Amino acid sequence: MKASTRILCGAALVGMVTLAQAEVAVIVNPAAAKAPSQSDVANIFLGKDKSMKGVDQAGWTPAKEAFYAGVTSKNESQLKSYWSGLIFTGKGQPLPSVADDAAVVAKVAAEADAIGYVDSSAVNGSVKVLFTLP
Amino acid sequence: MTALRVAGLAAVCLAATPAFALEQGEHRFNGFGTVGFTHLGGEDDGRSYGIQGQTNDSWRGDQLSKFGAQLSYGITDTLGVTVQATAKAQQDEWKANLEWAYLSLQANDQLMLRAGRLRSPVYMYSESLDVGYSYPWLRLPDEVYSQVQLTNYEGIDAVYTVPLSYGSVTLQLAGGQAKNRDYYAYDEQFDIDYGNLFGASISLATNDFGTLRIGYVEADIKTDITGNVISILPVPFGPGIGVAEQRSLLALDKSKGKFTSIGYQYDNGTWISSNEWTSRLIENDGMEAIDSFYLMGGRRFGDLLPHVTYAQLDDNGGRQSSWTLGLNYQATPTVVVKGEYKRVDTKNGFDGVFTRNAQELYENEVFERTGMAGTPARNYDGDIVSVGVDFVF
Repeated sequence: MKASTRILCGAALVGMVTLAQAEVAVIVNPAAAKAPSQSDVANIFLGKDKSMKGVDQAGWTPAKEAFYAGVTSKNESQLKSYWSGLIFTGKGQPLPSVADDAAVVAKVAAEADAIGYVDSSAVNGSVKVLFTLP
Repeated sequence: MTALRVAGLAAVCLAATPAFALEQGEHRFNGFGTVGFTHLGGEDDGRSYGIQGQTNDSWRGDQLSKFGAQLSYGITDTLGVTVQATAKAQQDEWKANLEWAYLSLQANDQLMLRAGRLRSPVYMYSESLDVGYSYPWLRLPDEVYSQVQLTNYEGIDAVYTVPLSYGSVTLQLAGGQAKNRDYYAYDEQFDIDYGNLFGASISLATNDFGTLRIGYVEADIKTDITGNVISILPVPFGPGIGVAEQRSLLALDKSKGKFTSIGYQYDNGTWISSNEWTSRLIENDGMEAIDSFYLMGGRRFGDLLPHVTYAQLDDNGGRQSSWTLGLNYQATPTVVVKGEYKRVDTKNGFDGVFTRNAQELYENEVFERTGMAGTPARNYDGDIVSVGVDFVF
């Protein structure tokens, strides 16, 4: 194994450890009219409460896994199954999703009624942290 | 502010994967399907079983296999159109069906109004009847799901959802009609009309304690079920041995049919349970209410889900009961491989979900009347094995 490859692998491992340990922050616009509780957030992201615009993440990232496990107690299969139930009964459509943490921050910063979740390292001054999940 | 908003939106649009929200001009395409094979063993050759009678002693794919596609389009941010088409076998023939074609209006955060062709809200799983992925079995418990064959109607409905701190409650009201539908009975298809169809359901979904649904549907039913039989009664007791005769088996002229369903589902990620009790009553058909239920429990071990179901159907003294053992494998988050073994028994000369044709019914009735001619009604039993794959996209 070349030294450079070893360094890359090491960097990747460090990256994974960092990701695994990172917190997930639930963020809203600084001008948000209300501060929803954790159960309100669950309802928003399960499409039951339409009073705020949930911004989802497209890929199944560690942040997404931690968010849905922590707030809705659902894993990837259960979440897929839940939305299939709504889509194919005509009772709901999944939330709009964006590509990554930066896009979630940009959208939440741009819309007063938007709410999203990101790795806490992605939070900046343009959004307000509602609460964090380990 | 506007400039900032536009810049933000542009950033979002650049970063976004295909949009799934149904804002104006957006669309969403989804599909689902089941590829499944099933076999009935233990009964006499050629005997068939099932809601459309397609399960028999040869391995067949048409009882369980079905495919569907659904397209939703946002006309405005609150007005949308949805169509769903399916391909499935009806009795022995593959057919394309337009199951859904409706306009939906999100009147406010809690109220949705829909008009057009909608799924009839009869059972707990009615609205996803063809989406095998949405329930744990390959074969929905036939004891319950054979009671009402109507899958859609033309009309309107209102769906009102209130978020609660521990879940949500949904109230649904539906009204309309379904004319010229098909009804499978005695190995034939008959025309059936459902007029003045009205349905109401309430569903309480909790985050930790499962979902309870109570539903009621009623309609004025018009149908004329007849059978062509060869007489076994000599003159003067009948038209003469060997004479072809058309007999009326059930004629309903706007008789009110009433159907109640109480269902409960639970899934905490490890333990899963699904249960439903139903009662069907048709006024003036000379019969008591038909009651049926199933109780199902399972436990996930990683990607595997072994489960067991007991189901029972009580129809005017006759009873069908069954045990089902199943094993599901979650291959990917959207693909489930399923295998099932179902043992079915009937008693008190009841055919249950087994198919008895008009001639057999007639000969059983002649025996009941005369005690000499004809054949006594008998009990049926069978071992049904099903294997298949459910998927959604």
